[in-house]
Amino acid sequence: MSWRVIARKEFEDAVQSRLLWGVVAFVAVMVSVTFLIPLLVPALDSGVLAALGGASEFASMLVPIVALVAAYLAIAGERESGSLRLLLGLEPSRRAVVAGKFVGRSAVVVVGLTVGFLLAGVVAWAVYGTVPAGAFLGVLLLTDALGVAFVGIAIGISATSATRSRAMTIGIAAYLAFALLWDLIPQGAHLAVFGGPPGASAPAWFVFLQGASPTGAYSALVMNAIHATDPSYPAATTVLDGPVPFFVEWWAFAAILVAWTVVPLALGSIAFERADLN
Amino acid sequence: MTAIETTGLTKRYGHDVYAVNDLSLTVEEGEVFGFLGPNGSGKSTTIDVLMDYVRPTAGSATVLGYDAQTDADEIHQRVGILPDGYSLYDRLSGRKHVEYAIRLKDAEDDPDAILQRVGLAADAAARPAGTYSKGMSQRLALGMALVGDPDLLILDEPSSGLDPDGIRDIRELTLEHAESGGTVFFSSHILSQVEAICDRVGILDDGRLVTVDTIDGLRDALGAGSTITVTVDAPPSGLAFDDVAGVSSVVVDGDEIHATCTEPTAKLAVLDRIRETEHRILDFDTRQSSLEDLFSAYTHPTDDRPRTEGRP
Repeated sequence: MSWRVIARKEFEDAVQSRLLWGVVAFVAVMVSVTFLIPLLVPALDSGVLAALGGASEFASMLVPIVALVAAYLAIAGERESGSLRLLLGLEPSRRAVVAGKFVGRSAVVVVGLTVGFLLAGVVAWAVYGTVPAGAFLGVLLLTDALGVAFVGIAIGISATSATRSRAMTIGIAAYLAFALLWDLIPQGAHLAVFGGPPGASAPAWFVFLQGASPTGAYSALVMNAIHATDPSYPAATTVLDGPVPFFVEWWAFAAILVAWTVVPLALGSIAFERADLN
Repeated sequence: MTAIETTGLTKRYGHDVYAVNDLSLTVEEGEVFGFLGPNGSGKSTTIDVLMDYVRPTAGSATVLGYDAQTDADEIHQRVGILPDGYSLYDRLSGRKHVEYAIRLKDAEDDPDAILQRVGLAADAAARPAGTYSKGMSQRLALGMALVGDPDLLILDEPSSGLDPDGIRDIRELTLEHAESGGTVFFSSHILSQVEAICDRVGILDDGRLVTVDTIDGLRDALGAGSTITVTVDAPPSGLAFDDVAGVSSVVVDGDEIHATCTEPTAKLAVLDRIRETEHRILDFDTRQSSLEDLFSAYTHPTDDRPRTEGRP
């Protein structure tokens, strides 16, 4: 069970190096600010639910950065410096090392996001006078899940990278691909099929493609979670004309998010187990 | 039982770079084995294979009877490693390092006892390892290797960066470990560091094992040899010593002639042979061959391998 020992050390390290408090402060400030934006811009819907939705949209850009930064060096950094040679002398199972790093860094990101979000929630409560507990909690849990997914991606990248710079390069590429470029895929596909961008309604496959990235799946799940508290808020499938196929149900997006956590982690673990570490 | 056994072990990088080449080596349990060779001769790669840090291209290795590749778990439970090219966790204190090692190995050791054994004082152990000198780092890493009372200690260049006190402490810890029945596999590029403590040594050069013997055996191989160095007035030519009895090798270096003699009388014969030519002897010097000469003869075979012809 030495993955637990490794996970615990990772967490303690993050506390000691103030990484955790950095995450908390960063998330609390940024999310608080997004909560306040609807109040500052009169043209926007100034309800607290809209503010929550806005905060989650912002979180889908922010959380991947936080998680990638918190975890991309977890293995590659130790490999480049040589401390991995001591660690593997004590615990030769590379799978246990990957698991311990993943759990430890996930805990850092989850605690950081949760505390940061709760602090932002206090700010929102002070400003709006009310916070819809159910929707807020749902968005918080989903944001944690998004953080864990990107820790999985970052650990997978770190396990495949022999050097820090390589881990950083792939990490940045992954961020650009998921957080910024992914949307071009459904948009491009829609343009190719219908000769223009989607209007008020869109086909189910478009909704699926949009939600097939980790951040896309997160956004879809957040919409559904807020929609569940207030049906006037749009769900991910509101843009559909006809019936709702199974692959755009909420659990399909949940499965996508889990897959984005587990698959990069597993691939990284396999590559790491096969690597020569010298 | 054998502590370490490698059979035809080969590690190749790319198409033709052999870090280790067809290495077959057996280290018995309870032995202190010196693994000698110059830097880059393949010592660390061999240890990396034993520890499953790298996978061999061909051949196999067992440690304490377990296969190095498939049973790494079993091996690491019983082996303490001081690896080459490691680094510590800069922010973690020395004591935390030892505690981490104890928890990872699920051992019962007392961290303070370990720290004391390797000579790290309590106030030093409380400081972050990022502030440590090379010698302190090496002591701490050795302490981590001692966690869990391993059957086999693998020390890769343990003396590097240590002052004479540190080297003596390493020597004492090694002997202590051997006296309590443990095996020590000790790599070094300096013969004198293993000479005093090792039962046997293996000399590795360019990925190949060139000899395995006891220190006494090496001395015998060296014979009661001595070297005579003769300085002549000009770079010598046309000199042959093939028929001079008791001369095992001759190396010419500029205007110096180095002859290794297995019999004392051969030295005079070498001088006589030179005086038969037109060369004038300016100076000469004789000295007893040392194990270092033998080591460098094995590892620099183009210079003066025993029993090879002198270059013209």
